[in-house]
Amino acid sequence: MEIVVCLKPVPDAETRLRPRADGSRLDPEGVKFVLAGYDESAVEQALLLREAIAGSKVHAVSFGPPRWTEEVLRAAIALGCDTATAVESAGEEAGDPIAAAEGLLGAVEGMPHDLVLLGKQAGDDEEGLVPGALAEMLGMPHFGYVVDLHWDGAAQRLRFGRSAEAGQETWESPLPCVIGLQQAWNDPRTAKLPAILKSRRAPIAKVSPPAPSPERAASVPERFALPPPRTGAKMIAYRTPEEAAQQLVRILKEEAKVFP
Amino acid sequence: MPDFSLSPEHESLRDMARKFARTEMVPHAAECDRAARFPEEIYRKAHALGLMNLNVPAEWGGSGLSLFEQCLIVEELAYACGGMTTSIIANCLALEPILLGASPEQLKRYLPSFCAEYHLASFCLTEPGGGSDAGAIRTRARKDGDEYVLDGEKCFITNAPHASLYTVFATLDPQQRHRGISAFVVPRSAKGLTPGKDEEKMGHRASSTSTVRFEGVRVPAADRLGEEGEGFSLAMRTLDMTRTPIGALATGIAQAALDHAARYALKRETFGKPIAEHQAIQIKLANMAQAVHAARLLTWYAAWTIDGGQKGTLESSIAKCFASDAALHVADEAIQTFGGYGYMKEYPVEKLLRDAKLTQIYEGANEIQRTVIARELLRGYS
Amino acid sequence: MTPNVLIVAEVDSGRLSLPTVEAAGVARSLSGPDGKIVGIAGGAGAAGAAIEFGEYGIERAYAIDDPRLDGAPAQAQTAYIAAAASAVGAHLVLLGGSTAGRDLAGRVAVAWKAAAANGVTELAWAGEALRVQRPVFGGRATEARLLRGGRAVVSLRPHAFPAAAVERTTCAVERAPAASVPPALLAPRRTGVEAVPKGTGPALSDAPIVVSGGRGVRTPENFRLIEELAASLGAAVGASRAVTDAGWRPTSLQVGQTGRSVSPQLYIAVGISGAIQHLVGMMSSRVIVAINNDATASIFRVADYGIVGDLFAIVPALTAEIHRVRGI
Repeated sequence: MEIVVCLKPVPDAETRLRPRADGSRLDPEGVKFVLAGYDESAVEQALLLREAIAGSKVHAVSFGPPRWTEEVLRAAIALGCDTATAVESAGEEAGDPIAAAEGLLGAVEGMPHDLVLLGKQAGDDEEGLVPGALAEMLGMPHFGYVVDLHWDGAAQRLRFGRSAEAGQETWESPLPCVIGLQQAWNDPRTAKLPAILKSRRAPIAKVSPPAPSPERAASVPERFALPPPRTGAKMIAYRTPEEAAQQLVRILKEEAKVFP
Repeated sequence: MPDFSLSPEHESLRDMARKFARTEMVPHAAECDRAARFPEEIYRKAHALGLMNLNVPAEWGGSGLSLFEQCLIVEELAYACGGMTTSIIANCLALEPILLGASPEQLKRYLPSFCAEYHLASFCLTEPGGGSDAGAIRTRARKDGDEYVLDGEKCFITNAPHASLYTVFATLDPQQRHRGISAFVVPRSAKGLTPGKDEEKMGHRASSTSTVRFEGVRVPAADRLGEEGEGFSLAMRTLDMTRTPIGALATGIAQAALDHAARYALKRETFGKPIAEHQAIQIKLANMAQAVHAARLLTWYAAWTIDGGQKGTLESSIAKCFASDAALHVADEAIQTFGGYGYMKEYPVEKLLRDAKLTQIYEGANEIQRTVIARELLRGYS
Repeated sequence: MTPNVLIVAEVDSGRLSLPTVEAAGVARSLSGPDGKIVGIAGGAGAAGAAIEFGEYGIERAYAIDDPRLDGAPAQAQTAYIAAAASAVGAHLVLLGGSTAGRDLAGRVAVAWKAAAANGVTELAWAGEALRVQRPVFGGRATEARLLRGGRAVVSLRPHAFPAAAVERTTCAVERAPAASVPPALLAPRRTGVEAVPKGTGPALSDAPIVVSGGRGVRTPENFRLIEELAASLGAAVGASRAVTDAGWRPTSLQVGQTGRSVSPQLYIAVGISGAIQHLVGMMSSRVIVAINNDATASIFRVADYGIVGDLFAIVPALTAEIHRVRGI
């Protein structure tokens, strides 16, 4: 099975978020962009499938400025992906998920792809538009919120779970298919130190994104803001547990207005 | 121009060690310290990820890192827990005599099988009667046909109760002092080799330390490292290689202490403002930061010197000595910044002080380091 | 401008789902007096659900008449939705904040050549463009974007908006404009659903109130205290990773980075210290209450109200007080 796993460089979890001077978006200055969260689960899933199905290959693809995608793709190689392809953007498109899907599309179409895996959403904007957009462009079915993906070789079907409002669903789908994975259900592996060293020397293929189609509606970042710092809890003083309970219920009713 | 920036390769190694330290070590550090628990599951994971046999070349199954790269990793691990770090890097110390003194046949026989699985090794030099005075070793090796028979006792041996391999220094003739010493590789299965019970320690409580008794332990001549009488030089060359990572370990502890203190100082208020706004605390933090930076740079410089092919005895002694003194001082000041809370076990800084203390003592006490520094220094004037 | 809005129905047991009703409310507040609001429903029970739009003052809806959609994933409706959006001259296609709605948005945006946003908490017209706001980085920041070009596809964040007020009118249901569905989208099949156990209160991600317990609860038996408090409020039960890792409660209850992200109106954290992994999953809740015996616990830094004390005394007292006040 030829598996493509699409990875978005996202700011490291320890990043101190700060708007750019014009206030329109996150200031990327000094931010370390890494492979994280849902995308780590996608890589893990790809590697598990490759281990289960003889002759499979995993191709990592990432869209973004080369400085960001390089670290993500090297991390993917260190984890065991077979090839790495960077779709180079200037970074300004980063706020537009449909543009990201268009960028990924070119790379995915240029390589064998039975199955396309992604995080169900990115760890930074948490938007989850790319899997559906990319699948629509590719004319494939797609599913987000997926856990526990298996290939049923006899039936030639993917089988997977999906967490939805009604409960835990199970689905089957033929290939080709696009899958957005839930985070960390599969305990992603950690790259081994010698593999990290080796990944530094691995080749990364470069692809240019298509020119943006002029008739498409655009999504333009306007403002990135941090919430006012929570000043800490208002502590409820009390003498007895009963008094604490009465006070809290009163506050929830009268002040916070959230009492059912 | 000298360049202090890290390459992307260095950064990825450091990041990987940092992630391991924060996700695997930090959550268990306090508990292991309290209970003096040896967290074998963490050490197994460290081994599986290639964080254990850092100095062993890749062809023998290790990670094959330069000393500088080892230092980047050790600092990150020690930031999470000094004791666990000591146990994780003890293999580097125990295997270094093999890397320096073993024949090609011995390298092949010992290393690949040892490195492939989770195994611990112990470096057996120190004895109850003498630590820094390594020439005064009393553990005897008697030649008996194609074998040597070892008798004696080693003490303060890291990982000894859990090790499967021991590099042992013993003398064929105590009269000859340094020149009488030879080095041997002894498996745990050797009859007459008995690790003692875990010592109850002040710090590094996630690490395990005990005596090792040798009672008529028979070692084939094929397991002697180098020639007879080369043991002392092997031990000293080993310590030249492993002293610098102790500087990195101490730097990691110091950095943790500084981070705790600075964060606390911004949060804790007295006289209506955060204590970080009081000059007394600012001066403290500034001095701590200087010590941490200097410790790191001296460590990097020593590693860079040795990676460049020089012996680096002076540089590594300066790094180890300075960084360990800095760690104790910075941990002490971190406790002072926390005030009464710092003295409480519920807060993380008193552990740092207890862990830092050992770095002044082991792998050559700082008194010996200063003797060495003075000797190397004065050589340039005579 | 008189904005026209197409609302995509999600049908739950033959009725419009709660996220769809929330979307209906937003559509009514967004569309001016002259703007058209049209619903669209597909799959099993589509016609009945389309009529239900009338309950919320929406006078017109499409029902997709295509039996192939019964049991097919919602994405098979993409082409119909795009065709309907064009037919009504929509400026906005609005989706509920459900799993299906979020999954559909990207597809519909591509099919209809629109800009899109998921998980939106505020939206307003800015001339021809739609300004949307949404939390990002687990609630650590918000972003505002302009969706330009006169075509926007938006899914809402669950519970960020009140359900539409009931205002009964008659909804004229017409057959949705024809569209061609790629056979590939009809191939996937749902093979089962393991329903959320009934009688355990609302589903975690849906609930307007969540009560979560952490390590401070100490034993699996004690977790009953959390469940009783939740029941008194009609709340969903959540748990910290410590609880699910220890196997006291199933992982499906875990709130946090590796579990579910929730953003209820009220979140009550009991015996939870507030590790960042947990905070990320609940920080965007509107009101947060923390009960913990450690006054320095991080949870108090993100909470709005805190009680320092023994949860084994406080929680039963609180449950009793809520019973008394609610008269149950």
